[in-house]
Amino acid sequence: MTRALVLLLALLVSLPSVTRGQVVTLAGPTDVFAEDVPDDIGGQVLVKWSLSSEDHLAADGSRPINGYAIYRKVVPSALALESGAEAAAGPGELGFADDFDYEANQPVGTVPYSVSQFLDENVEPDVAYMYGIAATGPGGTYSPVSSAAAPVIAKMEYINQGKLWFFIIMMIISIVIVYFVFYAKRGGKIKVRPIAGLEAVTEAVGRSTEMGKPVLFVPGILDINDIQTVAGITVLSNVARTAAQYDAELKVPTARSLVMTTARETVEAAYLGEGRPDAYNEDNIYYLTDEQFGYTAGVQGAMVREKPAACFYMGAFYAESLILAETANSIGAIQIAGTAMPSQLPFFVAACDYTLIGEEFFAASAYLSNDPEQLGSLKGQDLGKVIAAFLLILGCLLATLATVVPASKPIRVAELYIKNNVLGEDGLVPNELKIAVLDGELNRLMEADQDAQPAIQEGGN
Amino acid sequence: MAKAYTPGLLVTQHKKHRIMRRLPIAGEVRVQEGDQVSADNIVAETNLPGDVHPINLANQMSLPPADVVSCMLKKEGEPIALDEPLAQSKGLFGMFKTIVHSRFEGTVETVSPVTGQVIVRGAPLPVQVRAYISGKVVSVAPGEGCEIETDVAYVQGIFGVGGETHGTIRVVGTSHDQDLTPDLVTPDMEGCIVIGGARMTIEAIKKAQEIKVAAIISGGIDDQDLKQLLGYDLGVAITGREELGITVIVTEGFGEISMAERTFAMLHDFEGQDASVNGATQIRAGVMRPEIIVPLNSPPASDKNKKFEEGQLETGRQLRVIRDPWFGMIGTVSGLPTEPHVLGSGSKARVLEVTFPSGEKAIVPRANVELIEE
Amino acid sequence: MTKIDPDQIKVILATDCGSTTTKAILIQYVDGEYRQTHRGEAPTTVEKPFADVTMGVVNSVTEIGELAGRQLVGDDGRIITPATDTAGCDIYISTSSAGGGLQMMVAGVIAEMTAASAKRAALGAGSIVMDVIAANDGRRPHDQIQRIRDLRPDMILISGGTDGGTADKVVQISELVAPAKPQPRFGSDYSMPIIYAGNKDARDAVSEVFSEGGFDLQIVDNLRPVLERENLGPARDKIHDIFLEHVMAQAPGYDKLMGWTGAPIMPTPGAVGDILQTVARIQDINVVGVDIGGATTDVFSVFDKTFNRTVSANLGMSYSISNVCAEATMPNVLRWVPFDMNERELRNHVKNKMIRPTTIPQTKEALMFEQAVAREALRLAYKQHKEFATTLKGVQQQRTVGDTFSQQTSGQTIVNNMALDLLVASGGVLSHAPRMHQTAMMLIDAFEPEGVTMLAKDSIFMMPHLGVLSSVHAKAAEQVFDRDCLVYLGTSVCAAGQPKPGKLCFKYELTGDKTDSGEITGGEMSLLPLDQGETGTITLSPARGINLGEGPGKKVQRTVHGGTVGLILDGRGRPLALPEDRSSCQSTVQKWLNALEVYVEEAQAVGV
Repeated sequence: MTRALVLLLALLVSLPSVTRGQVVTLAGPTDVFAEDVPDDIGGQVLVKWSLSSEDHLAADGSRPINGYAIYRKVVPSALALESGAEAAAGPGELGFADDFDYEANQPVGTVPYSVSQFLDENVEPDVAYMYGIAATGPGGTYSPVSSAAAPVIAKMEYINQGKLWFFIIMMIISIVIVYFVFYAKRGGKIKVRPIAGLEAVTEAVGRSTEMGKPVLFVPGILDINDIQTVAGITVLSNVARTAAQYDAELKVPTARSLVMTTARETVEAAYLGEGRPDAYNEDNIYYLTDEQFGYTAGVQGAMVREKPAACFYMGAFYAESLILAETANSIGAIQIAGTAMPSQLPFFVAACDYTLIGEEFFAASAYLSNDPEQLGSLKGQDLGKVIAAFLLILGCLLATLATVVPASKPIRVAELYIKNNVLGEDGLVPNELKIAVLDGELNRLMEADQDAQPAIQEGGN
Repeated sequence: MAKAYTPGLLVTQHKKHRIMRRLPIAGEVRVQEGDQVSADNIVAETNLPGDVHPINLANQMSLPPADVVSCMLKKEGEPIALDEPLAQSKGLFGMFKTIVHSRFEGTVETVSPVTGQVIVRGAPLPVQVRAYISGKVVSVAPGEGCEIETDVAYVQGIFGVGGETHGTIRVVGTSHDQDLTPDLVTPDMEGCIVIGGARMTIEAIKKAQEIKVAAIISGGIDDQDLKQLLGYDLGVAITGREELGITVIVTEGFGEISMAERTFAMLHDFEGQDASVNGATQIRAGVMRPEIIVPLNSPPASDKNKKFEEGQLETGRQLRVIRDPWFGMIGTVSGLPTEPHVLGSGSKARVLEVTFPSGEKAIVPRANVELIEE
Repeated sequence: MTKIDPDQIKVILATDCGSTTTKAILIQYVDGEYRQTHRGEAPTTVEKPFADVTMGVVNSVTEIGELAGRQLVGDDGRIITPATDTAGCDIYISTSSAGGGLQMMVAGVIAEMTAASAKRAALGAGSIVMDVIAANDGRRPHDQIQRIRDLRPDMILISGGTDGGTADKVVQISELVAPAKPQPRFGSDYSMPIIYAGNKDARDAVSEVFSEGGFDLQIVDNLRPVLERENLGPARDKIHDIFLEHVMAQAPGYDKLMGWTGAPIMPTPGAVGDILQTVARIQDINVVGVDIGGATTDVFSVFDKTFNRTVSANLGMSYSISNVCAEATMPNVLRWVPFDMNERELRNHVKNKMIRPTTIPQTKEALMFEQAVAREALRLAYKQHKEFATTLKGVQQQRTVGDTFSQQTSGQTIVNNMALDLLVASGGVLSHAPRMHQTAMMLIDAFEPEGVTMLAKDSIFMMPHLGVLSSVHAKAAEQVFDRDCLVYLGTSVCAAGQPKPGKLCFKYELTGDKTDSGEITGGEMSLLPLDQGETGTITLSPARGINLGEGPGKKVQRTVHGGTVGLILDGRGRPLALPEDRSSCQSTVQKWLNALEVYVEEAQAVGV
């Protein structure tokens, strides 16, 4: 124990002297090459090199090289351009001096041994940099700094070639959306499949009016930042409008204070829009508790006491879904549910009169408002879904084919193209490297095939 | 059945015309039996109960409906002005009181303890009934209206729009088959009854509307022109309540059709005289046709001896064909075959033979002719 | 009115007092069955100068008496009952639609629920519904009040709320009606009858509202005691009572007439509904009846024993012809006409027909155009009927997880053309068409029946008489309906689905009194001879996706009855679509008209 302490102390004391020692004994890396990372805003440079000849385990199991330090310096861009253009000047005066001070110059980064590249993410665009790599070993040993063949300038690209496909698909969808928005505005008919659950809103509210009972609207138990709650509030706006028209009493118990405020605003606006501000009663939209089951019990109590004739569940639901739906079913209410919670949907479907499932729930606002903008974007999004589904099917098909006939180059290339170009980030043109790798693989397969050919032919006959 | 009843439109030089001027609801009749009235005179007036405005106080004050009655500042039957406090809630310890102001002017009619609804009735709407034609009051139904009688020349149109009006007759154009075009309507015709010959064009009507002609009358009108005038396609011939500022009457029908020569000549004779017209048309059971009434200062000494019985179809009578292929043509009955004929359409119907002025003869179903009453 | 023993009734006299003519028919028990033997007609005498409806009745009955050689009217000017061997009748019954029929206003809380039920009750009773007031009809209260004021209904039916349901909304509606002080149409000396058939808990409050102001409030059972069930009977009966007591009593001569009849006088359309219900019940079939008049078109249907009636107020062939053209639009009317017509002239013709409603078409072209208008009027009226004849709205649904992707709203139409067995036509343009083929074609084009459907027309508009008769002697009514009232046009076999033009639609094989077999291709129509009284069995093998009654592609075997037209095979598909292009539409329609021999002679005249 004491011995260890003494050793550590000795090490600490000796450290400065060692680092100051700067012993240049190691063999440096070769073929250093720095390049601008394409398709970015000009903030990255990729430096590559060949590993030092000593970068391996020594016979005694020690490692002469611990890693590499990457240095860079700014060079006048005019020179860099010149040398870059001619590429023959060599490191020359742009390179790192032989008496390079490893201590005074902080490396822009270090990498461990056996790594032969480094991404410098901290460069200024349009500035010429010269990179140099030194191998570092234990005890402050260094190799000479190997300079890159030429300086590099990080450039900002306006178009990320790798995401061109993404751009194309997005443009198609956008154009389609814009087209359909204008189409709808000009009075064109956009057919939206009738959603029974939304059609039934008037019926449910009407039932409440006829029976002299309130309408109960439950906007889920999550806060307003949840997209399902937002969709629920959209439906609430429609329910409130109908309630105002039909002169029904609308009650909205909430589990979040923010949802309550939003619901109040929404319902008040709906009543105003229908010209019935006098029928709006703020107290009917109230906060119960944030507690999941406290809230559930509260809503259930309201159901049993007031016997609403119509219950709406629109938002995010968890375990309380069936408790609420069964209770309301027992009091004979028309129930309409809408949620994107896959686990709760079966319960709602079984216990409620109508259920909006996932997509339908989110499409509700476009459906209800009949607003050309919303309808147009709904149609455009549908096209997006069609494209996605098409790519999925095509990809699956190609992947399947590729396993069935692995030697077919067109299929393999097509698969590769969908995977890496359309869905990946390789841009419009297939990556030559990957094609080369594929070619190699195919060649190997061919060779293997040729070996097995007679057997297959026999089997085939 | 050698004679058949085919009603026609009445066009007569003289008849005793009697009209009932009635109030929509009971009111006061301002004339007495024997009074001479002119078209403009008000003969009866009344007040229609004002508009009703329900106010839901229970909701506005967040109160149970039963409590609304006790919160009312105005009791049933009391008048209330615009923005006057209508009700006040009791509040909490005399504080936080809500006051509801009336958004309507009128009288508090009812306060319902069941619905919490208060009904404010607006000021009564005065209704005045004018004489419409100049003449003598012959009977008075107290509280309801009166009857006015006078000697008139009377022309029934086939179709009209717009209500009652009166003015001076101004015949434009030279003949009964001249179209009524805008150049014939001149600015000095304000308040007049403009009478043209054949089809009136929409431009002419629009121009007449601009210079505030009281009524425009002619033989025909194009369906599309009528649509343009009304702003909608007329579906059912029940008219009279349009607010066009002008009354439009056609005497013969739709399309290129000229006014019956006799009608035109008769109206021509009354140039410069005052007349009352009404475009109201109702073609249903209890048919009502538009009318042009010219009160006569001195009735003709004696009516011409009637050659024919009214409404009877006999050989030699003048009639008008009212359905294509001879639509609008005028001729005389030259034969009344008793047996039904098979028509070109394949249906069987009772027909008659008509001779047109050109000498041409045609077989026409009896349903498709109209007598010209003389 | 004494109790009637059906077996003792041998001579039945019935009249229908329409707004222009009073029609009388005599039904006698001949050779073991009831047959309509004679009929007579006379102008109705409700209006001045006669102002006594019985004059027209006596005139028409006298005419029958002369024809039948039987004295029916006694020296005292009354109809003789009961019958002796040579004089009088065992029972005299009558309907009436004189003076514009029975006009009502109805009110309810929710337009699609109690107000719809109230409308159904009023229409079923044979009235014309002038307006429906509901809390959610989109009108502001003062507009509603103004409207109530402008209308002059014969009576008002107020419903609303289930039993134990909303009370204040019903009272609110009453509070709209009461201050509006609607005036009855006839005379100012009787108080406006109001029938209350709403929430029973609100009865006292409603009585309070109508306690002053000269109303005659009658309270009956709620017509929608729960949203799941309608109970229209009590309201309907009360409407009939008031019709007799108040409305009829105001019309001149009716008090006398009521003393003569052996059963209550019914509104004409109500009686038509009754006979169709009786027939549907006895024969266990689904029936649609239509009566197209000058101003209105009535559609009656009985599907699965549920009766519905609608009145399309502004769809008719004379007074409303212009409205039909406006609502259907001219291109839609003209698609049925197989030649070019000058549209401007046509529009003027339509308006001229509107202002001179009694004219009849003289040329074939005019007839074809008028029948084209009739198709559109019927199509629109049937569409309105389908929208109205629905299952009840506001009903709780029972679901299973299996319904996840097939949820349907309640309030779907119960009109199912595939299940329709009998289509009955009446009204001038249909029953007086020069050729029965035209009637059949109009019915098929407008109603688009599917599968196997019988087509018939009411020969002399006898249905109202039989409707009243059915309330006293259902058997006699049904027998006469079948044998004398209906003229069977034939049977239509129509393919549902979208057959490909020129490709096989279905194969048929007919056996029985006539034998035949063959194929019908998509877009083709064909007429097979099958005369009145003949029957046959038809076996149909539809192509894939084509439904003839047993489901798409399924083989069908049915008994078919002949008629004056025959057996019509229709391979045009449903919903019926005509070519958009005007010239190909003309040639297509002409092809169909030729196939069905609709306008026989003019095929040469027009085809050039």
